[in-house]
Formats: sequence, C-alpha cells, structure tokens
Amino acid sequence: MLRYVIGRLLYAAAVVVGVSVAVFFLVRLGGDPTALFLPPETSAAEIARVRHQMGFDRPILIQYLEFASNALHGDFGQSLRYQQPAMHLVLERFPATLQLSAAALSLSLVVSVPLAILAATHRGSAIDRSGLLLSLIGQSFPTFWLGIMLILIFSEMLGLLPPSGRGTWQHLVMPAVALAAYSTAIITRLLRSSLIEVLQTDYIRTARGKGLSERAIVFGHALRNAAIPTLTVIGLQVGALLGGAVITEEIFAYPGVGRLAIQAISNRDFTLVQAFVVLMAALIVTINLAVDVGYALLDPRLRTR
Amino acid sequence: MDRRQVLLLSSLSVIGFSSVGGTTAAVAQAADTVVIAQAADAYSMDPAKHSAYPTANILFNIFDPLVTLGADGKFQPALALSWSNPDPNTWRFKLREGIKFHNGEAFDANAVKYTFDRALDPAFKAPYYSRISAIKSVEVVDPSTVDIKTEKPFPTMLYALYEAAFPALIVPPKYTADGGTDGLARKPIGTGPYRFVEWVKDDRVVLEANPEYWGGAPKIKKVTFRPIKETRTRIAEVKSGGVDLIADVPPEDVPGLNRGETKIATTPSDILYFFAFDTLKPSPLQDKRVRQALNYAVDVNAIQKSILGGLGERIALTLPRTAFGYDPSWKPYPYDPAKAKALLAEAGFPQGFTIPLNSRQGRYLKDKEIMEATIGYLGKVGVKVEAKYMEHGVWAQVSEKKGREGLIFPGWSGTDPDLVWYPLLHTGEYQSYYSNPRLDALLEKGRSTLVEGERLVAYSEAAAIIQEEAPHLPMLQPPLVYGLTKRFTWTPRIDSMIDLRKAELN
Repeated sequence: MLRYVIGRLLYAAAVVVGVSVAVFFLVRLGGDPTALFLPPETSAAEIARVRHQMGFDRPILIQYLEFASNALHGDFGQSLRYQQPAMHLVLERFPATLQLSAAALSLSLVVSVPLAILAATHRGSAIDRSGLLLSLIGQSFPTFWLGIMLILIFSEMLGLLPPSGRGTWQHLVMPAVALAAYSTAIITRLLRSSLIEVLQTDYIRTARGKGLSERAIVFGHALRNAAIPTLTVIGLQVGALLGGAVITEEIFAYPGVGRLAIQAISNRDFTLVQAFVVLMAALIVTINLAVDVGYALLDPRLRTR
Repeated sequence: MDRRQVLLLSSLSVIGFSSVGGTTAAVAQAADTVVIAQAADAYSMDPAKHSAYPTANILFNIFDPLVTLGADGKFQPALALSWSNPDPNTWRFKLREGIKFHNGEAFDANAVKYTFDRALDPAFKAPYYSRISAIKSVEVVDPSTVDIKTEKPFPTMLYALYEAAFPALIVPPKYTADGGTDGLARKPIGTGPYRFVEWVKDDRVVLEANPEYWGGAPKIKKVTFRPIKETRTRIAEVKSGGVDLIADVPPEDVPGLNRGETKIATTPSDILYFFAFDTLKPSPLQDKRVRQALNYAVDVNAIQKSILGGLGERIALTLPRTAFGYDPSWKPYPYDPAKAKALLAEAGFPQGFTIPLNSRQGRYLKDKEIMEATIGYLGKVGVKVEAKYMEHGVWAQVSEKKGREGLIFPGWSGTDPDLVWYPLLHTGEYQSYYSNPRLDALLEKGRSTLVEGERLVAYSEAAAIIQEEAPHLPMLQPPLVYGLTKRFTWTPRIDSMIDLRKAELN
C-alpha cells in the first residue's frame, strides 16, 4: 500500500511539473502582452522600451528557468495587470470557488444518489423514466444557457433570487444549481446502471434467498459495490466542477478564481494564468490521488498492485 | 461511521459553510445607496498603476484631476482654478486653496508636483506613462501656483491632465510616500467627492460621500461598484432593482430597458468607427479614385440604423463631432453606388478587385456586424473583401510590425485632431498607413503652436485634404448605452467616464 501511494505521489508531482511547462509555453504562443497594457496610441519605440523593462525580450528558455526556479520557492511573480503577487490573487479568491464547487457537489450527491437508488430499484417505472429524462436534460444543457435561463426566471420574472454576487445563501442557489446539473446527471446515470448490474449478481440473489429485506440488500450489499465505479466519476466530477465554475462564475458575477482566470487569459496576464493553472493542476492531481487511494481502500484487490 | 453518514455530514457542513459570508444586499437598495455594475473590477486603487476604464471610473470619484471635461467637450476647472501660458513651453495653473485630502493632508502645488514626478519616474512603470510623458518637469511657483513645462509647445496638454489621462488624478504626497509601494493601491485617499470604504476583490468597491467635498457634498451617500461581466446578468440586475446603473447595454436591449422600472441613458462616445486604407503597400487602394469609390459604396446611415438602432453619431471625417476644430459644415460622402462603380471603372477596375480586411472582433460594440455589413456593400460594387479577424495579442503583434493590410478597422478615440490625425495619417507614425507631405506639414503646424486660431486654420486645410484624398472611410461614433433604474438621475459622458458628482436619487 505504501509503495502504491508513493508511486502515485511521484506520478502526481510529474504531472504538475508537466502542466507548468505546458502552460508557460502555451500562454506565450500568441505573442507578448506589452501592447495590451499600454494606451492604443503608444509608439513602437515606447512599446519596445516597456517590453524590455518587463523582460519579455529575453530568450524564452531563460524566462522559463527563472519562472521555474522562482515557482519552486513559492514565488509565481507579480501579476502584470494587478501588479500584485499572482499566487496571492488566486488564493484570495479560492475559498469562494471552493464554496461554490462544494455546494454544487453536495447538491448533486443529495439529488443523484437517492434518485439513482429509486430508479435502479424501480426499474422501468415512472420514477426511473423521469430520472433518465432529467439526467438527459442535465447532461445536454450547457451551463451558460441554464445559468441565463435561471436568472431570467428566478430573478427577472419572479424576483426571488439575486442574479449575481456573493454573500447570502440566496446568492449561492442559482450558481450551484447551474453548476451541479451536469454532474448530477452523470452520477445518477452511472450509479443507476452499476446498481442494476450489481442487483443481478449471484450474491444478491443469495441475499434475497436468505430472506434479507430489500432495504438491507440495497444499502448493505449492493450500494457498496456499485460505489466503486461511481467514486471514480465523482472524483473526476470534482475537477469538472472546479473547471465548470469558470463559466458559472462569469455568468453569476461570482467572485471566484474562475472569473479571475478568464480575465487573466484575455489580458494575457501570463504570471496570473500560470499561478492559476499550476494551482488547479495540483488540486486536481491531489483529488485523483485521493480517489485512487479511496479506490484501493474500497477494493482490497487493488492494494497488492 | 459508514458512507451514508459521511455523506450526510459533509453535505450539512457545506450548507453550514455556505451560510457564512459577507452581506451583499440581495435586492432593492437603500434610499441613499447606489449600486453601479460595470464589466470588470478595479485592478488597483492607485490611479497611476492601472490601464483600464472600469478602474478609472471608480477612482475618478475618489480623486480629482486639475482640469475636467465638461458636457460640451470643453475643459473646465477642477483642482486648478485657471490656467495660462507665460511662454509656449509653460502651462501655469492657479490652484484652489484650502482643499484637504480625505485624511486631512493639504492639497497644494507640492501635491501636483509629487503626483507627476512619481508617475513620470521610469522606475515606477506607470502603464499610461505615455499619456503624460510630454511633461518635462513640474515646478512649484508658490503653494497655489504650479508650472508644467514641456520641451516644445504642446497644445493638447489639458488632455494629459484630465481624468481620462489616468495618472493625472492628484494623490496626497505624504500619505502616498509613507504607504510604500502599495499603500495607496489598497486604500486610496484623494480629494474627490467620495471616500474609500472597502474593496472586496471581484465583488465590490464601496465608497461613501465626502461631506466636505469642495465641489459640494454629493447627494448620494453611498456608492457600490460591482463587476458583472455577463450582459444578461447586468440587465437582470437593473431590472430586479439590485443595481441602479449598468454600462454597455447592447442596442437591441434598449426597448426592453426603456419601460417599466428602468430607463436608458445614451450618448455618442468619443470612439471612432472608420476604415483606414493601407496605401503604403501596392494595391488598388493607392489610387485616390478607388478610396473615394469605397466611400461612396457604403450606406453608413443604413448600417447605423439597422445595427445600432440609430444610436451614435454619423461623422464626416475621422474626428468626433465635439472635437476641437470639427466643422459642422463638413459632409460625409453620400451613398452613391453608381458613382462608386464609375470611379472604380475610371481607375481601371471595372470588374472590381479582391482586398483583405484586417481587424479584431468583439473589441468594440457591434464591430463585427458593422464590418460584415460593409463587406456586403462593397461586394455590390464588385470589391470582394477577404476578412481576417485577429485575436487581440496577434493584432498587437501585426500592428507593431506595421503589417496591417487592405481595409483596416482599428477603432480609435480622441477629441483633438492632433490626437487622431497625427498618429493615424502623419507619414511614418506607427499606426499610419498613409503619406502626404502637404498633410504632414499641416499636422505638424497644428501641434507646434498654442494659438487656437492658427491651429484651426491648419486643421481646416488638413480636413479639406483628408476629405479629397480619402485615406479613411469615416463612419460614426458608436453610442454608449446605459440602463438605469427610474429613481436614478445621471448624465453619461462622451469619454465613458462615470462621474457621480452631480448624480441624484429621487
């Protein structure tokens, strides 16, 4: 088990380093941002002067080595636009995004798990069919469309919820629903089909033969085995939720890292984009690591590998 | 603890976690509070450390400039009471006396000197350095008089000193120096109508009225600026009363906002929509008749009506109608496709030709739609346009190498011919794709004297050349459109700055 965890850790570190290399060079593909920070009438000579001052005229390899060595010391440089430490700007907004993603994940679990159990145990019934329809809708509606519709209905027409911002729980409702829609759909479908599969296996038939109640069978035996593939998907969905928060935050003007990242990308704020991507990569890799370890805990066969 | 319990506990903890947090008002605002939604948050609270209008809009209500732009497009006194030119290279400002910054520090000539010395220091790296870089030095004559010196006569000096030249807002010397590199950037102190209260990044900037404001205490007691990027969300906010003023309303939403509890405020902006013709590289555009033909070929009035809902202002030459030297008797080329075809035939292109178009898209209001409509009109006279829309960074690179080609839709702004025609039409300027020694001489004359009469004559002659030679296809000043709640009274400005000094709630 320890060897397994150490192996996964090394792999995770390699992924984060790889991502940092990729983002450093990708973000620079479209040219340097000097002119974007200056007034439109700025002369070519002035642009060149500022570029030199910012160090963008140096060989890209030198720039990368400087970035890498500073990043190893926890210094991701100054944001070009904000003129403040980039990682600080990202971390400052991170709790808001975490709150939104956590709310969305809880919401989707609270909805999808009971729905999947009901659907699997009442296969072919009206509940099952409406559950399937709901998850089809959740999977096929894009977040931005759903978000705008929610605002239109609940803010503009009914006046029930504030369209944007952060603060009270009311502010969190629509963004969490919009963000949760997709993962709710995925988790419902997957958990339903795994449950159905498990419920047809021999040991469940044995349990039924023993005269166990259906409730004991589902919660005591079937759910545990059906949870294994679902856990992987939930782990992946956490990453998707953090990523999906980018669009959701933009629509609901929610002050999280996603909105900061979008703005940084359109401003070509290299340092800020780098800090954001490295942090997100580290986070997602950590979640995957946790899922892998959790998997091993649930399924003893995996530990020996 | 089994998995069900873990799940239950974790969802409960999330709900608990969710209910903690700030207290942004959910819906309708208090009677003395105004909320303003712009597309972006502030980058910094230091006027010399940013390069964005949404930031400038906030800071302009905390700080004051020396001079300010009036509704008529003329400069008016702000912290400076009056100005004169003792010699062509000196601008002398008499300052208001007895004014204090929000922290009690006195405003005087020294504050003016400190403000510009700080922003002009190359080590300070002010992004809008070039807006004020014509200033050679600032000299204190006495506590209420200051001289701003230039190398050579600089007729557009006041444009370097008003609110839209971002680093021109006057900062308190002692407070700023004591605050180190980012004291002012976190907690700004100015002389303006509003005092800084708090800045919750990406969520809100809160200001409160300064009852001792020298221009009279503002009527609205509290102001909150909120960043809301998504247009639909901004509209939903103003309709549900959570916000009193939203910027950047698309023309198609004007009817929907112009009823019920909301209204519209609009003005032509100082932005210029026009096509510049690349006459430097070999192409049919080097022929004056072709350039004139393209001017005849496009029905700009119809474009304005259908795409901008008739908002904005048609221009005859590339200059806003309120600009210095704009003559109302100037007439744009009329829409006359037959004449266009005749001119093209005369120039040797009876079958038309193919030409590239270079631009960004989504940079300005409806820019892509307007370019596409223009391409349609040009097609009708046989000019086939191959549009190449570039991403911002690529556009900047191409521009820097002077690589724009064919028809160029750059967008520009400026309310003096020297700020528009010199950079866009003078030979060798980095954004200029035209060269005409006669025009060069006039543009140089216009920027070398402070005497308004001489400048007017030079620019009037320059206008005649530009009209005849047609290096541009001037179109219009697009509108600035704002949505307001019924209770809020406020007037938009041509330069898009949001000034709350005269705003009222009823």
